[in-house]
Amino acid sequence: MKSSKASTYLQRFSIYIVLIAMFVACSLLSPYFLSANNLMNVARQLCVGILLAYAEMILIVSGFLDLSIGSVLALAGVLSVSTFKSTHSMLLALVVAFAVGVACNMINAVFVAQFDVPAFIATLGMQQVARGIALYYTGGANILQLGKYVKLGQGMVGKVPVPVIIVLCITVVVWYLFNHTRYGRNLYAIGGNRKAAEASGIDTRKNIFISYAIVGVLAGLAGAIFMARNNSGIPNGAVGYEMTGLTAAIVGGTSFSGGVGTVMGTVAGAFIIGFLENIMNLIGVNSYIQSIIEGAIIVLAVAFDIRSKNRKTTKQIMAVKDEKK
Amino acid sequence: MKNWKALSAVVLSAAMVLAPVTALAEEGPYRVCFVARASADTFAAWLTSEMQKAAEEYDDIELTCVSGEADDAEMAKQLENCITKQYDYVIVQSNNNAAQAPYVKAIADAGIPVVTTNPTTHQADLDGETGDPEVDNAVMEGTGTVDADPVAQAAVGAQRAVEEVPENANVVVFRGPSGNYHAEKRREAWDTYFFDVRDDVTILYEDYANWNNDEAMALMETWVQGGTHIDAIISMNDNMAAGAIEAVRNNTDYIAEDGTPSFLAYGVDGTAQGCLLIKEGLLTATALQDAGEIAALNMSYAEKVLHGEMDYTEVNDYVDAPEINADNVDEFIQIYVANGEISESDL
Repeated sequence: MKSSKASTYLQRFSIYIVLIAMFVACSLLSPYFLSANNLMNVARQLCVGILLAYAEMILIVSGFLDLSIGSVLALAGVLSVSTFKSTHSMLLALVVAFAVGVACNMINAVFVAQFDVPAFIATLGMQQVARGIALYYTGGANILQLGKYVKLGQGMVGKVPVPVIIVLCITVVVWYLFNHTRYGRNLYAIGGNRKAAEASGIDTRKNIFISYAIVGVLAGLAGAIFMARNNSGIPNGAVGYEMTGLTAAIVGGTSFSGGVGTVMGTVAGAFIIGFLENIMNLIGVNSYIQSIIEGAIIVLAVAFDIRSKNRKTTKQIMAVKDEKK
Repeated sequence: MKNWKALSAVVLSAAMVLAPVTALAEEGPYRVCFVARASADTFAAWLTSEMQKAAEEYDDIELTCVSGEADDAEMAKQLENCITKQYDYVIVQSNNNAAQAPYVKAIADAGIPVVTTNPTTHQADLDGETGDPEVDNAVMEGTGTVDADPVAQAAVGAQRAVEEVPENANVVVFRGPSGNYHAEKRREAWDTYFFDVRDDVTILYEDYANWNNDEAMALMETWVQGGTHIDAIISMNDNMAAGAIEAVRNNTDYIAEDGTPSFLAYGVDGTAQGCLLIKEGLLTATALQDAGEIAALNMSYAEKVLHGEMDYTEVNDYVDAPEINADNVDEFIQIYVANGEISESDL
């Protein structure tokens, strides 16, 4: 009975066990790791990645994904920065970032939901289109001197960075959406079995549109924070960031086959990667070696997570069989 | 069905016969192609734009710009297309010298004048290094070059740093992409002109930030947590220096309340962002890699070669790398005001 309880905890909290183990290991490896400044840095560096990870998690749970999010982030960011430079209105700049993100993702949603184009293909196309527009608009040059816009990425409220506060608020909203709304339950149902979900009366197309709209808002917000952090509108920025988001979500336990994933698991996944990158930079690991270690640890963490869940599932099945006997 | 086959055969035959005749009849402007390494690269984008402006000065040159998108396979495709389309003159900005060398040679072998620019393709890129500097540093046989000398560019900051960097200083180094000719040569120049001379200096951290602002920023944010004060930022380009500076902008250990920095920072390229950082007092010095001058020289040589005034293998020119510092930054800022990268309000 006790071992059954222990394995239940292991199954539920395996990713957090990995996170705690990594935190302890990092603390032992460098005396600077535990400093408040360093931990705040890690949090600040992860903000854009966590927003993208939420976006990918929302889609992966329902059986889709978004490969265009890095490019949409760049497009939304440069247009937002450009708006701010010409109007000096932060509100308008943010509205532009959200609008661009949502517009690009509505196009994704039309192809995915209305024309049944695989999300991989539809968003791959948008990846190129959005990047192309960003480069065409800026002529490939960075937009400089962002003025007060940088407060969005570099500002502090007390001792807490502004982007960290924004991400905390978004975390609460996404957590609420997933755990306390019909929309959240619908996503799990669609990802688990789309046909069964449709048969039970869930409007899958409507939910796909809502999901891509939310992803658009997250991409727009991430774009604004990214540009503000760098104090430049960078049209070629955030290349490959879709993989950052996907990796954090997957490491955090989101299943690529759909129907499985949690907000807190995704946060844990992002922090596992963040701690890993941080400690390797702190102790001065060669960047080629960093890549090898990062890849290996990510696979091991996910394998540990999957294996602990499989064990629990097998034990549950055997227990049911024993009870039947 | 037979009629269709016969008609198709007649149309195809006519097209094959008439095509060369039509081509001969069209004595339009010279067709020049510029193959840029990427469109999503600040300097390559600037160079492309300057090439277009420079080409407008010549009525008999029609310039086509294509991009390899920082992908060797795409570069190969674009270079092969240059042979297929039989351009009159090709200018190549390689992404990876060794990977593009055989394709550059194929263009030359096809009888099309080809000039490599920023960076130069060397014979060693094709044959491998022999260890003999004279052979290895020779421009690839059958090609010309217009370039900026990466060693001279980095030497500008390095020689200055010898005098400026305090004794027993701790420095960090940001490198460009591994294997990139300019990135490696700039780093070598720092060894030759600075680290070999100043053996009291310690490199606290050194890593590849791949020319990128955001990668350098993330590295610097972590490195400053190491506890040891960083006395100098040594960056192989301005973009990475800008990212590193941004990482300490709000850190009072590095920039005092009045904006005075407690560190030195050196870049290369003399970009608009670099110039603005010098104006702000946060970047100590950089060396200009003037895309406008490189483009103007390229078009001027193209014109001469196409008019038979010189052979393209004789094209061998390097632009200067003038130092930009707090004393002269205003005159360089005017370059960017003129091309629209910096507006008056930015100043």
